[in-house]
Amino acid sequence: MAKQSEIKPELKYTKDHEWVRVEGNRATIGITDYAQDALTDVVYAELPEVGEEFKAHDSLGVVESVKSVSDIFSPVSGKIVAVNTELDDSPDLMNSDPYGKGWFCVIELSNPKEIEGLLSADAYRQFLETTAH
Amino acid sequence: MTKTQTSSPVTHFLSGESDVEAMFEALGIKDYDELFADVPAAVRRSLKGPVGQTELEVRRAITKMLAKNKDFESRPHFLGAGSYAHYLPAEVAALILRGEFLTSYTPYQPEISQGLLQAMFEYQTYVCRLTGMDVANISVYDGPTAAAEAMLMTVRHSRGKEILLPENLFWEKRSVIENYLKGTGTRIVTYGYDRATGEANLNDLQSKITPETAGLFMENPNFFGVWESRASEVKGMLTAKAPKALFVVGANPISFGLAKGPGHYGADIAVGDGQPLGNPLNYGGPYVGYFACKEDLLRKMPGRIVGETVDNKGRRAYCLTFSTREQHIRRDKATSNICSNEALNALAFSVHLSLLGEEGFRNLATTNAVRARALAARLNDVPGFRVAFTSPFFNEFVVKTARPVQEVERALRRHGVAGGLDVSGKYGLQGHHMLMCVTELHPEWSLDAAVAAFKEVSA
Repeated sequence: MAKQSEIKPELKYTKDHEWVRVEGNRATIGITDYAQDALTDVVYAELPEVGEEFKAHDSLGVVESVKSVSDIFSPVSGKIVAVNTELDDSPDLMNSDPYGKGWFCVIELSNPKEIEGLLSADAYRQFLETTAH
Repeated sequence: MTKTQTSSPVTHFLSGESDVEAMFEALGIKDYDELFADVPAAVRRSLKGPVGQTELEVRRAITKMLAKNKDFESRPHFLGAGSYAHYLPAEVAALILRGEFLTSYTPYQPEISQGLLQAMFEYQTYVCRLTGMDVANISVYDGPTAAAEAMLMTVRHSRGKEILLPENLFWEKRSVIENYLKGTGTRIVTYGYDRATGEANLNDLQSKITPETAGLFMENPNFFGVWESRASEVKGMLTAKAPKALFVVGANPISFGLAKGPGHYGADIAVGDGQPLGNPLNYGGPYVGYFACKEDLLRKMPGRIVGETVDNKGRRAYCLTFSTREQHIRRDKATSNICSNEALNALAFSVHLSLLGEEGFRNLATTNAVRARALAARLNDVPGFRVAFTSPFFNEFVVKTARPVQEVERALRRHGVAGGLDVSGKYGLQGHHMLMCVTELHPEWSLDAAVAAFKEVSA
């Protein structure tokens, strides 16, 4: 499965299976195709509040599926400027379109240098091949 | 059966002596006293009684011991304050003592426990209907812990730093809430009550709300038995200064036979002790805490929840749901560390309520209120005694007594009854005061006895 899960080349990744799309000083965050497949049907997403501030590795919120609850860890430090309220009524977007309509939140970066520490698409693919099954 | 040679005088019906010795050796101890070494010596004692006698002798000896106890029938009392004596129809015991209900342990596997899961779902439904709330769990331990869990929930939800409690909150309940909040860093602020009416002082309440308020707890009827006539104004007061703060109301469930549930007047969470329905006094427990809230707070609610669904053949079925809030999945991020409930007591609550029916339930509440008022009026007429507060009450009221409560108690005992709770000096009350409760269970002679005893003290 890991070999077949979709990995977008233009995005950054974390070992917790989050993706990051950096645009200027803002980062959009979501969970990867691998993560949504492992979770199975997402039934609920607990989003952070706009305006809340987080440090890298803080828990932003949770994604709840039929079989488990997983924290979403912030890949970067900053302030929440947008959350995907469509997930309230359609949490399944995280399964059907994890890199698009299933986005989780947008953070305004307080320390842009942290981006350099994130995994590239290739590094994430390698990570999946060696550790995941 | 062998008699084991140990320092304890109790004979055990264990497998042979060698098994016991092997167990002791594995534990690294030498006798039973060492096994119970953690029990403080002051409370450690052995059974002094009919040991090694026939069943008949034992039965007679124990019956004689128990005869020294006075229960409600042999000596009616006027205690309330969270534990209420009500009449329990015979069907309640007949149903809950069935083996399927009585001895099943954590019976929540849906494949084999549909009966109990359905009963719990119906219990949740009853609680929602009574409280005017959208969702309820299948119970927590008791009223005080339900209140404590609710206040923790307000902190979780609003991230506020302080909670508001009424001045006239039963000190035991306050202690439980304080214990549960320890470690969270939440400040406890108290709002006062009106010394004349016995109701909450809403000016004081309003002045104590700040943007850091997480939640406010109010009881209705309150500890004095008094109805909080302005409870419907509280939510607005909270929202004005602390938009995310939650309004928690605690109530005796029988009071819903007369009053609207808290969900109808702005409360976000409703809690209380279900003991008055279906459950005897039980010497203080087990009781059953009910917990209900508005739908948007569902994921923040502690405790087990039963849901209704369909099985793979499309038949209606019940199962536990929203389990991801609980500690066996979320660990330290769970809504609570509770992973239990009071199923049998909740079942008794439901059985009793279903036997009463809507009309019977209303009658029960009305009877309680009418009889309490009648006794209060008679006691109020005794020189030197008066009902302490002017506002209407449910089935409890505070009496200011002419003489110290211990004297009044002795007079009551001489007349074959026992008194209510001594609340002299509590909550700023000046002089001697007793909190009394009257239910449908008090025989007429016990009410006459109370009046006679009061008159005797007055003379």
